[in-house]
Amino acid sequence: MSELGVSVGLWAVLVVVGAALGLDAASWPQVMISRPIVAATIGGALLGDASSGFLVGAILELLGLGHTPYGAAVYPETGPAGLVAGAGLAASGGSGLGPLLLAVACGWIIGWVGAATVRLQRRINGYLVANLAAAAPYRLEWRHRMAMTIDALRAGALTAAFAVPVMILVKLVSGLPMGGAALPAASAVLLVAIALAGGVGVRVMGGGRIAPLLFGAGGAAAALLILLTG
Amino acid sequence: MQGSWNYRTLVAGGLTNAMLPLLRRIYAGDPVRLAAAVSRHLEPFNAHPYLCAMAVTALARLEATGVSPERIMRFRTALRAPLGAVGDELVWAGWRPFCALLAIVLFTLEGSPWVATLFFLLLYNVGHVYLRGWAFRRGWSAGFDVGKALQEAPWNGATHWLTVLNASLVGAAVVLVAWSTPATTLLRWEVVLALVAAAAVGYARPGLGERVAATLLIAAPVVLLFLGG
Repeated sequence: MSELGVSVGLWAVLVVVGAALGLDAASWPQVMISRPIVAATIGGALLGDASSGFLVGAILELLGLGHTPYGAAVYPETGPAGLVAGAGLAASGGSGLGPLLLAVACGWIIGWVGAATVRLQRRINGYLVANLAAAAPYRLEWRHRMAMTIDALRAGALTAAFAVPVMILVKLVSGLPMGGAALPAASAVLLVAIALAGGVGVRVMGGGRIAPLLFGAGGAAAALLILLTG
Repeated sequence: MQGSWNYRTLVAGGLTNAMLPLLRRIYAGDPVRLAAAVSRHLEPFNAHPYLCAMAVTALARLEATGVSPERIMRFRTALRAPLGAVGDELVWAGWRPFCALLAIVLFTLEGSPWVATLFFLLLYNVGHVYLRGWAFRRGWSAGFDVGKALQEAPWNGATHWLTVLNASLVGAAVVLVAWSTPATTLLRWEVVLALVAAAAVGYARPGLGERVAATLLIAAPVVLLFLGG
């Protein structure tokens, strides 16, 4: 762990922050510190590179646009996933396409693992709260707090399990030479994934028939800005 | 509010937990009626978590004014759809992506992750806290007239404009984020056209688009390991 620049103390901080981010998503206080752009920036900052963290978070944010938490929908859990992905990229040195791509992939996978743990948590909540009316209604406050505590522990455990393995994996990939076909292949994967995510996001958020035109106009305006400013 | 969200009673545990201080006051000295009120509000309920504050105070007002449990439960059932649909459309599909996309654009233009992150958190939570506060106050004053209060809500025109702005912001964010990555070495006109086609596939077939994007990202480490040397 010392080669990654991660002490046991820093790992513990990551776990505590991961627990807080997991709690924020649905339980409390829902101020959206659990969004990837915030979580990954915090993860990156803890490992010394907030900018790399934000970039990972921005890509995860675009990938998550198609997942809105309507009703009982299942969607990737972004807090611990963003934190670990941002920390993973920052621990690798923060530069290079390979590490960026791998950090994003890890963040996406951890997000879905987190979603599975959230589903399990919601089943446990059912046992805690759903039968309460017939049993002991006055114990509601205690059981509600217990459900939130389990949520925080769940998110902390998720962060604890993935933080160091992801950092090691991203660090290993950062040491690989990106010669031959690797660079264009990795570039294509990342760009196509971002473009697909943008299209999915616009469709899911609505906007009617003019939405694709507005999407194109926004993209064209950004491209023009890049051309003008270099 | 969603701390004990579950598949059987949905957000009812959080709703009742939030109502408890009011219910204890309304039924002070009458533990039987308090228990009955707690039991009926633990029946399944769901709504957007921010607008649940409106259900909390509207239902508490009905409890306080002695409305019959049957009417309260009918009203409670009727609240679910509007409080869910309005909140989901306004916050999850409108305000949250709007704030996040603006922050991403700000980061790519300005370069500071902390400025962008704090901008996102401040802007989002101004709307968030305002909405919770409005819902809490209007729920109590509206009582049975929650539907009318929602129709006259000050943000009603904003939902449409947020959707329109978000579509443009997604386009800008996709281009600016792609430009911020080391992958820009690949950017040529034919590649740009391919990316436009990818975005079109994502829009036309969102399910397929997401599966393809996820498969590409997860396969990426394998691509790197095999082609890296």
